[in-house]
Amino acid sequence: MKTDYTPYIVRLVVVFVVATLIAIAINEGAYLFQKDRNDRKAGTIQLVIPAGAAQRVAQGEPAPGIPEKMSFVVGDVLEVINEDSVDHQLGPVWVPPGTTGRLVLKEANRFSYSCSFSPDQYLGLDVRQRTSFTTRLTGLMISAPTLAAFLFIYSLAIYPLKPREKKVEVKA
Amino acid sequence: MRRMKKRTLFVGGGALLGVILLAVGWQALARPYAYQGSLIEPALPAAEIESLDQHGNLFRLSEQRGKVVLLAFGYTNCPDVCPTTLAQLKQIKNQLGEQANDAQFVFITVDPERDTPQRLQLYLEQFDPSFIGISGNRSDLEPIWQNYFVYQAKRDTGSAAGYIVDHTSRIYAIDKAGNLRLTYPYESGQDAILADVRHLIQE
Repeated sequence: MKTDYTPYIVRLVVVFVVATLIAIAINEGAYLFQKDRNDRKAGTIQLVIPAGAAQRVAQGEPAPGIPEKMSFVVGDVLEVINEDSVDHQLGPVWVPPGTTGRLVLKEANRFSYSCSFSPDQYLGLDVRQRTSFTTRLTGLMISAPTLAAFLFIYSLAIYPLKPREKKVEVKA
Repeated sequence: MRRMKKRTLFVGGGALLGVILLAVGWQALARPYAYQGSLIEPALPAAEIESLDQHGNLFRLSEQRGKVVLLAFGYTNCPDVCPTTLAQLKQIKNQLGEQANDAQFVFITVDPERDTPQRLQLYLEQFDPSFIGISGNRSDLEPIWQNYFVYQAKRDTGSAAGYIVDHTSRIYAIDKAGNLRLTYPYESGQDAILADVRHLIQE
């Protein structure tokens, strides 16, 4: 006589499927509920420093065309076109006059840099990790098995399985 | 017959997988290198630097064609930025290994009143004796500072150690053709600079 584990395997499979569905619902629900408006695909963000920007900043006026707050996602390319007659520094991007400065933002971080065309001379750059499909899938791969293990043990406590015994035919 | 079908399927599947892997690999190799520093486009011809170095030899930037030049501005009394930058440049040079023969590291003072060639020599020897140190009269250095948009201003702190100099802390990368291609703000990642320099050397 051998112990038949089939009911346990069936229970485990059922519980795993249920746990995966619950995990998808919770994860995706939380993602949709807490979704950051700045979360998007990486791309090129172009900023133009107009002629006379340095003069305006020196007079305490904000430089036109430059947003006060800037949020990026990892992989974004920050492109700064300097149409002014002097060099400018926008965070990590230094742009001599008449040129374009380009920087690929590869790391998620909050940077505080000097900025030549901000009246307070400082600029905060917020580079965030994008919540991609892979990120969500990773979350699911972590949460689903954990939840399944928990549900399986819980189900065994609530609805215990009686081990069945398998008859093994012995040929004489 | 069944075995033949299985074999055909196996060989066909393998070939298909091989083609997919090749295509993916080709795509990855064909992708242009993305520089990690702040890229200047179009690249600017780097302004000539002609001055005596710490050993009294005439240094000309134009004579460095064929080498990638990493250029930094600072002063020997600098309490923080300059030692950190030079230590980073030393690490980069060490990590370049044999490729370091195709790179030149140049440090130009923003404090000519205190940074004599002898003082610059002693200072740079603490990091790497092969680094080129440029000093001279203020009137000789001012055009260089202007050409590289270098900010420098003395500030009296009332300390016994004397004044400090506020200055531009970026590192400039000049390619083998003598063009100013990239800059790195202070505290840029060493690996990022190293990867870019390696790529500039291989260009």
